[in-house]
Amino acid sequence: MKYSIFSLARAALSGHKNWQRTWRDASPKDHYDVVVIGGGGHGLATAWFLASEFGIKNVAVLEKGWIGSGNAGRNTTIIRSNYGLPGNTGFYELSMKLWERMEQDLNYNSMVSQRGVLNLYHSDAQRDAYARRGNTMRINGIDAELLDQAALKKMLPFLNFDHARFPVQGGLLQRRGGTARHDAVVWGYAHAASELGVDIIQNCEVTGFVRDGNGKVTGVETSRGKIGAGKVGMAVAGSSSRVAAMAGLRLPIESHVLQAFVSEAIKPLIPGVMTFGAGHFYVSQSDKGGLVFGGDIDGYNSYAQRGNLPVMEDVCEGGMALIPMIGRVRLLRQWGGIMDMSMDGSPIIDKTPVDGLYLNAGWCYGGFKATPASGFVFAHLLARDESHKEAALFRLDRFQRGAMIDEKGQGAQPNLH
Amino acid sequence: MSNSAIPSSTIRMEDASVAEFSWDIRSPIERALVVGPYGALGEAGVSLTEIRNFDLVQVMARRGKAAEMTKPAKARFGVAAPEMPKAVSTADATLIWSGPDQFFVLSKGGKHTTEALVQTFASSASLSDQSHARVLISISGPKGRMMLAKLSSIDLHPDAFPAGAAATTSMDHTSVTLWRGNDRPDGQAVFNVLVFATFAESLWHTMLDSAAEYGVEIGHSEDLA
Amino acid sequence: MRIVCPFCGERELSEFSYLGDAKPQRPVANAGEDAVYDYVYLRDNVAGVMAENWYHGGGCRAWLKVTRNTLTHEISAVEPTAGAGAAKVGA
Ligand SMILES: Cc1cc2nc3c(=O)[nH]c(=O)nc-3n(C[C@H](O)[C@H](O)[C@H](O)COP(=O)(O)OP(=O)(O)OC[C@H]3O[C@@H](n4cnc5c(N)ncnc54)[C@H](O)[C@@H]3O)c2cc1C
Ligand SMILES: [Zn+2]
Repeated sequence: MKYSIFSLARAALSGHKNWQRTWRDASPKDHYDVVVIGGGGHGLATAWFLASEFGIKNVAVLEKGWIGSGNAGRNTTIIRSNYGLPGNTGFYELSMKLWERMEQDLNYNSMVSQRGVLNLYHSDAQRDAYARRGNTMRINGIDAELLDQAALKKMLPFLNFDHARFPVQGGLLQRRGGTARHDAVVWGYAHAASELGVDIIQNCEVTGFVRDGNGKVTGVETSRGKIGAGKVGMAVAGSSSRVAAMAGLRLPIESHVLQAFVSEAIKPLIPGVMTFGAGHFYVSQSDKGGLVFGGDIDGYNSYAQRGNLPVMEDVCEGGMALIPMIGRVRLLRQWGGIMDMSMDGSPIIDKTPVDGLYLNAGWCYGGFKATPASGFVFAHLLARDESHKEAALFRLDRFQRGAMIDEKGQGAQPNLH
Repeated sequence: MSNSAIPSSTIRMEDASVAEFSWDIRSPIERALVVGPYGALGEAGVSLTEIRNFDLVQVMARRGKAAEMTKPAKARFGVAAPEMPKAVSTADATLIWSGPDQFFVLSKGGKHTTEALVQTFASSASLSDQSHARVLISISGPKGRMMLAKLSSIDLHPDAFPAGAAATTSMDHTSVTLWRGNDRPDGQAVFNVLVFATFAESLWHTMLDSAAEYGVEIGHSEDLA
Repeated sequence: MRIVCPFCGERELSEFSYLGDAKPQRPVANAGEDAVYDYVYLRDNVAGVMAENWYHGGGCRAWLKVTRNTLTHEISAVEPTAGAGAAKVGA
């Protein structure tokens, strides 16, 4: 079904009784050209790009729960392309460009809102680092503005400028950054992919790989039976190590929990996305009025999809340090998701040593913004057997070659990225 | 500060090497600590007293020598050094557990300084003088425990934390050594907190904020309680 | 999550820092690049019971070996690692 002003009017006049399902809830066939494991944003986007850009329509997305039940439905919805290192800069800008046309591409309202992403700085050294990052972005054709305190005072008068332990001095602003409605991104890709014939199969957990005599992957074992596949792509985020282990692979990845928080709804207060530079706290405001905020990962390996109190306390302390007036706002909900933390904080999109098995992983806490580009370059890899140029550095063997993409310079300590 | 100290901006380069500095001993929270009442009016619920000018030595058993450390300790102090989170007091020293196979010796008047202890532990432990590296804050008053409960995740109820109990723990993200001393003559519990000098001012302000609602009596003293 | 430090007793999580899986062992000096790569970068990333290194930095500053289920956060054992203090546990 095509969404338009006419379909809306028709549905309204018939009492909204004739809406069709946004996508088909398919049952597995015996064989697909490509099977994508994981019905998060990345898996669904991959399937859609395979069908729409690369002409491969005999595709299935296998999801063990329901689509969007993983991180795609748990994140804080921030999109931006303010990365500083080769490999990341171009890739995330490709993603930003795809966000800018997503709603037209998918014929679905994913509520992409370019309300701006502002990283605050609190010291001269931090200003210099942001100036450098902003320059890197601009050299690469990405918008960036360095704001001083006077500009910020006009924009965000409620910040703790004067009595703070780390006074706010200014910020790096990317106006084209912002937020998108995470569930609608999942549903939009599912809708568009399903329209092109992709089978979206829920409650279908991959439990093993089918290999031929040469070790090549020729299908997957699932909770709904064996499914044959020309190629298999993994896009299972926090479960990457577990699924890779079924093919005998060990990955440079640890799974960690990241929490997020939503307050009760309040009047419009925070215009865009804002990050605190002297602690770990970031915040935006949802259209319903809730403050959506978060901070650091908990810091220990976890598959539990829930975190602990110390990080909650730390995040709230960061919030209070930056915006004292939110101290009276009540917290409504809090949850966690499992991050596939890579050893340098950057993703891996590559073939694996196992023939027929392809890997999309290592998104850490920042893979939502990557969703469209990740789907596009992964589809490219699956269709053509070669990396897209914007993903050419996200190789699985880069750790062995010493070609890390470590934005934070933390080294192989995933809980610090 | 003594008058002989020269502000650094007036020191010419060629004179720098002969500049005189003041080595007066000052408390790291000398400026932050304002003697008198603070917070809610009326009878103070909490008294915060900084204890100044003490000798503090950390005794740490050398690798594998923990057992050898006990005998000289007992000979020197007349009591066994604590082997678990406890504080024991003698006539002229308090021994406070500060981690596995290590303890603090807190005293006054130069009797148990590093120099004085070096022979005692020559073959078993390493000593480290912490006298001016830590600030000692003594907390008492009817609301003292209430105030500490805001900062500490340790159960300080008398059943769980009686006199002589000790803990190495964190308050407001700051490492501290906490122990309960002997009760005051009026029966009030006394909690002692040792904190690194450079973190002391921050923790002091946090304590003031936490105690303000109960009314605070601020002071400093030269006497170990 | 609370960790019962064998020296200090039960303490809140924020007093501890995390080093991760206790299984990887530093390779010997001439073990070769592959062994070092494996040690530094590859992980079992266990979903289930795992032995881990934790540091009681906000307390007694002892290194601990904690056995914990990464699926539930349940802690089944805490032992001191070898080194200072270890001898006294249980005494
Ligand atoms: C609290 C939180 C806040 C975040 N905030 C942001 C943010 O503001 N901006 C940003 O860019 N990123 C953010 N992220 C990160 C982002 O959400 C993830 O990097 C991204 O969603 C990962 O890709 P995905 O959508 O494909 O993952 P997921 O949605 O997790 O998809 C993986 C899917 O694979 C399925 N699966 C796993 N194992 C199997 C199996 N054996 N068989 C079948 N299916 C399987 C899972 O059920 C899951 O649905 C955040 C994450 C969290 C948890
Ligand atoms: Zn301990």
